[in-house]
Amino acid sequence: MKKPQRLIPLLVIVVASALAAWRHPTPGRLSPELAWCMPQMEHPLGCGEAGMDLAAIVSHAELRAIALAIAVALTGFLFGTFIGAMSGLIRGMFERTVERVCDLLQAFPTFLLALAVLSAVRAPNRFHLGAVFALTAWAPFARLSLVQTRVLRDAAFIEAAGAIGARFGGIVVRHIVPNLLGVVAVQLGSTAAAIIVSEAALGFVGLGPHDGVSIGAVLDQGVAAMLRAPHVLLVGASAVFATSSSFLLAARSSPSE
Amino acid sequence: MRRALWLVATRALESFVVLFVLASLVFFALRIVPGDPALLILGDQASASELATLRAKLHFDEPLVRQYARFLSDLAHLDLGDSLRRPGVPALARVLVAVGPTAQLASLAVLFGAIFGVLAAVVASGPWLGDRRPWVERAILFVAAVPLLAFAPLATYVLAARYHVLPLPGDPDAGFLGLLFASGLLAIPLGAHVARIGHAALLQVARSPFLNVARAKGATEVAVWFRHALPASLGPIVTVIATQLGALLGGAVVLERLFERTGLGTLILEAYSTRDLPVLEGAVLAAGALFVFTQTVATAIHAGLDPRVRASQ
Repeated sequence: MKKPQRLIPLLVIVVASALAAWRHPTPGRLSPELAWCMPQMEHPLGCGEAGMDLAAIVSHAELRAIALAIAVALTGFLFGTFIGAMSGLIRGMFERTVERVCDLLQAFPTFLLALAVLSAVRAPNRFHLGAVFALTAWAPFARLSLVQTRVLRDAAFIEAAGAIGARFGGIVVRHIVPNLLGVVAVQLGSTAAAIIVSEAALGFVGLGPHDGVSIGAVLDQGVAAMLRAPHVLLVGASAVFATSSSFLLAARSSPSE
Repeated sequence: MRRALWLVATRALESFVVLFVLASLVFFALRIVPGDPALLILGDQASASELATLRAKLHFDEPLVRQYARFLSDLAHLDLGDSLRRPGVPALARVLVAVGPTAQLASLAVLFGAIFGVLAAVVASGPWLGDRRPWVERAILFVAAVPLLAFAPLATYVLAARYHVLPLPGDPDAGFLGLLFASGLLAIPLGAHVARIGHAALLQVARSPFLNVARAKGATEVAVWFRHALPASLGPIVTVIATQLGALLGGAVVLERLFERTGLGTLILEAYSTRDLPVLEGAVLAAGALFVFTQTVATAIHAGLDPRVRASQ
């Protein structure tokens, strides 16, 4: 960690959300007399539709979205690093195919893919969302890991490992992958940021978790009541921006930047 | 030239593979997940006979392999059956009506994004701003980090809803100005990415001797950067536009929902919420086709512009 201070915004968001979530243990409690009320002492971020306290919803949604983003990014990281290292060592057709598939997946409209796959379930929950994001999240990690493996695979210590009889799996797991982790981990932050935005986008278009505890759902309310209660829109938009950009900033705290 | 054609031909073939995989994914997602798809479509209140009719209509009562073969054959004939929610209207007809507005929105956004991005990249790399150039770089980085989902609703609130500077793009009589507004919003993230990559590419050629030759022959700085440096950096710019196309289509869905504008995104969301499977399958595939088509075009442009690509592939 060269610049650990770049992790601070993310930590602040997590701690603040945890505190707010602890103060309001049940998000989505309705108090219709407070519908669309502006920020005030009792409700620091104001209220949304039917008087839901926005601070409660946003804090719970933030915590869940951040947990989801980290879980998916780590899954993609492990799987992608492994696939990339393997294809780099196998070389030939397999390597080229993996490379091209990664390129395509990185450019692919994942949002549409998510819509298509999620149509198979009645009401998506966070597990479904995570599974859909994981379908494509591994690609950038595999791409980076493949590039780095190309550098490593001709190194003397890899040849030596082969010469003393290390098997293919052993070379990948014990010699290549440990040398990749640092380089590939740089991608963790931007993948997590992309997942935060995608989750909110799915919530916004109405495919979020059905309990409505999602930043996207807050944004959707905000758009619907744009003129009556602009603060809802502002709260939703700033939450998405703050979370995704603090993940991006955290990504640049690692040594290889 | 033969190599360039070969490259484009492989990409075109690959596009078919991508569409095939996407179609299969759409097909199997619904049929492999446990639960009765007919029940999912009709809801819990449906009677047994209604369910049976729907199963027969969508061939859910046949073996999976037969269903898949039928689906692929229908797809090859470009006939996905009638829309479930609007009986008598072919699903593909509804999709074709929706493709136009989305393609308009996306292509205008690509155009604006490319123009903004290239201008910003040249300004950030050229000599005009002197010591203030890092500010442009920072601004580009910042804009690239702001998600469309965060700023598009805010911009709409400020510009269209509160102060009426611009019409709401979903308004039927917003006309061309509305389209310009929507595609301008969509172009901002793309433009920032183009600027970032274009700036990096321009810095690589900035110290090349051929630019000094141009200067020595009396070219102005504008001519040096736009006529000599920019063409040498077009490769990465075209590539970044191609890789951002997916995000652009996703952004188009969000914007269409935000503005309640007709288009593929609105159609996909409507088909999703009403479980209109033939329309959903058709619309997702149309979006996928739009994506692979533009990707292939980008490859062709790249190969056409840059002799190094023709030689090295």
